[in-house]
Amino acid sequence: MNKVSVLVFGLMAATALGGAAHADKLDDIIGSGTLRCAVVLDFPPMGSRDADNQPVGFDVDYCNDLAKALGVTAEIVETPFPERIPALMSGRVDVGVASTSDTLERAKTVGMTIPYFAFEMAVTANDKSGVKSFEDMKGKVVGATAGTYEAIALEEQVKAWGEGEFRPYQTQADVFLALSQGQIDATVSTSTVAQANVKSGNFTGLSVVGKAPFDTDYVALFTNREEYGLINYLNLFINQQVRTGRYAELYEKWVGGEAPDLTVGGVYR
Amino acid sequence: MFNYTFHWNQALRALPQMLDGALVTLQVAVLSMVIGLACAIALTGFRLSGSRILSGIAAVWVEVARNTPALFQIYMAHFGLGNFGIHLSPYAALLAGIAFNNAGYLAENFRGALKAIPETQTRAGRSLGMNSLQAFRFIVLPQMLRVAYLPATNQMVWAILMTSLGVTVGMNTDLAGVTQELNARSFRTFEFFAIAAVIYYFIAKAVTLAARALAWRMFRY
Repeated sequence: MNKVSVLVFGLMAATALGGAAHADKLDDIIGSGTLRCAVVLDFPPMGSRDADNQPVGFDVDYCNDLAKALGVTAEIVETPFPERIPALMSGRVDVGVASTSDTLERAKTVGMTIPYFAFEMAVTANDKSGVKSFEDMKGKVVGATAGTYEAIALEEQVKAWGEGEFRPYQTQADVFLALSQGQIDATVSTSTVAQANVKSGNFTGLSVVGKAPFDTDYVALFTNREEYGLINYLNLFINQQVRTGRYAELYEKWVGGEAPDLTVGGVYR
Repeated sequence: MFNYTFHWNQALRALPQMLDGALVTLQVAVLSMVIGLACAIALTGFRLSGSRILSGIAAVWVEVARNTPALFQIYMAHFGLGNFGIHLSPYAALLAGIAFNNAGYLAENFRGALKAIPETQTRAGRSLGMNSLQAFRFIVLPQMLRVAYLPATNQMVWAILMTSLGVTVGMNTDLAGVTQELNARSFRTFEFFAIAAVIYYFIAKAVTLAARALAWRMFRY
């Protein structure tokens, strides 16, 4: 073999091996035939379990739609809020469809897509607490689900007020349990969760008393930060969900009313 | 494949906050141990009292404390009592839960230690002219404490580690609570949990070593 053919052979071998090693996550998902989504199933109406213990909710349908678009089977991996990142990093899930607020702090760790849903925040109070508005919460004992956007905002608000107490509970159910028992006077949650819980009849003596003046909570899908191919695909998928009317359809199915606008005026992306 | 780049700088900046949390953890553990010891002594007394009601109370307490998860005990102290309109703050609920657990284990520990001292010693004491209280005070008790001491330090370490269950009842000032919150904010799960684990390790180790040193001083012949 002369030097040229050795070089050519070597290059070919390197290209073949290099090509295989560069399969990205999008390829892996399509190749494996399964899309594993981290979904929070303690967060109705986005994710919960029905009477047969099957996962249902907006996020569950969204994952199924995504799997359908990719031509693979969806696998819903129940993931509590605090475990979203460990689940992704340890490779147990491919994508988070978990109502995750797209904060800059978190984007240092994971790759966020464009927003796929938006929440408004509502104040729910125990009827005996005398809390009738957001401002009434000053000096009271308030709580929220640990690790959520509203928990972080509410805790900062309590610090700014300089009185009262903030308690983070691990699940949404615990927050509403504590609220109905009067352990906390009020909570801030997404308006969808507030309505769903008050209507559920599981908790008595609670009312949704008003809006919380926090910024709209845009939530994004997330995956590993460096998976540009997949993030690119997810962005287009979200765009298509809105464009085809599927987003509005799912919103009507799980929440009802007019679906929130997912764009922000005056700036790109 | 573990695809994660560690950002230690960012995490270490939160170290002072975490150390403040560690102090709260230690405080809860120490208080739970003090309360637990007092309750355990009372429970041991109940068992020796011969009263059916008192030994019944002690038996139920020890059974529940030793045979249900600490998580359940703490959860019940907050949400269980809350159902009856008794509102313990997360701090109080955590403290009550761990103290309850400690008391159960320590009472059992004392019982074992009492059994380790042969009855003949009490009789020997009595035959030397001591009354039963004196025999207990001067012969049995010092030996019992010695036997029970090292297992009790185990319980102290266990109490420190159990404080991390406080997050389930809304505790956010102890080490686990602070760690959870930092994690939620930044998603730097592995850094914060690793630092927390190291801090727990050092607290537990320090307590064990201090207890050994103390034992060496106290129990010299």
